[in-house]
Amino acid sequence: MGCCYSTAMGCCYSFCKEDSGPQSGEVSERTHLLVDPVSNTTNILHVHSDDYVNHYASSVPKKTDEQSALNRILHETAANVIDIGALDSHNLEQHEYMDRSKAYSKRIETVGVKVPDISSCLLTDIPAPERILSTEPLPSADRQLIKDMLDKAVSALGDVKVEHKEDLVVPFLS
Amino acid sequence: MERNLEKTMDDVINTEGVIGCILADHQGLCLGAKGKASGDSAGLIAAIADQAAKLEPGSKSPIIYLQNDTRQCLIHRQGPVVAAIYKQVSS
Repeated sequence: MGCCYSTAMGCCYSFCKEDSGPQSGEVSERTHLLVDPVSNTTNILHVHSDDYVNHYASSVPKKTDEQSALNRILHETAANVIDIGALDSHNLEQHEYMDRSKAYSKRIETVGVKVPDISSCLLTDIPAPERILSTEPLPSADRQLIKDMLDKAVSALGDVKVEHKEDLVVPFLS
Repeated sequence: MERNLEKTMDDVINTEGVIGCILADHQGLCLGAKGKASGDSAGLIAAIADQAAKLEPGSKSPIIYLQNDTRQCLIHRQGPVVAAIYKQVSS
């Protein structure tokens, strides 16, 4: 099959060559508008069809080389790409989290590294919030206390006046 | 003069469980502080009262009640005055 094909191609090439050969000087309907790159490479055109078959046969393993090269590129690309969708999402369970936290803090203790405490927060965490959350939101006594205090404070603030005692401007030389 | 303000704070301090109190004006400037309370907190307290009031605009000014294991802090604004009372948690 390959043999027939290559022979036909060889004929075709030789035909073209013979055809275009004598007319190379003048312009006709058969003149190539573009310079044929193949006909410029003299090597192939002057090759005999048998030689061409050999040449073609020797180029067959090259084709598999190309295929394997493509495969190699494909594999390399696949190896370099991190497919996030295919990764298993590893969610830490609560006890796992605690275990790790314990392990890490133990390790830090043994090494003796002091982790700097950079959090200077106005509100701090409390160990057992349930006790505080379960208590009454605001005792009525406390509410009354602060309301009374503010009532008095507002009226007391209204009493604050500037008392005129002495002149602000004092003549130095009199 | 400010004698009434002083008396108001003294009365509160003498209430059982109260360990300190602060009065601040509408700008957060300290009007007075008694007991275990610093006048430096006046600005913070006024800011807390203002921010908490923004949670429900249009309603009456809230009483903010902060609490930890040992102490409680009540913050409230009335007109131009913001007050804070610190209390010891009775256990």
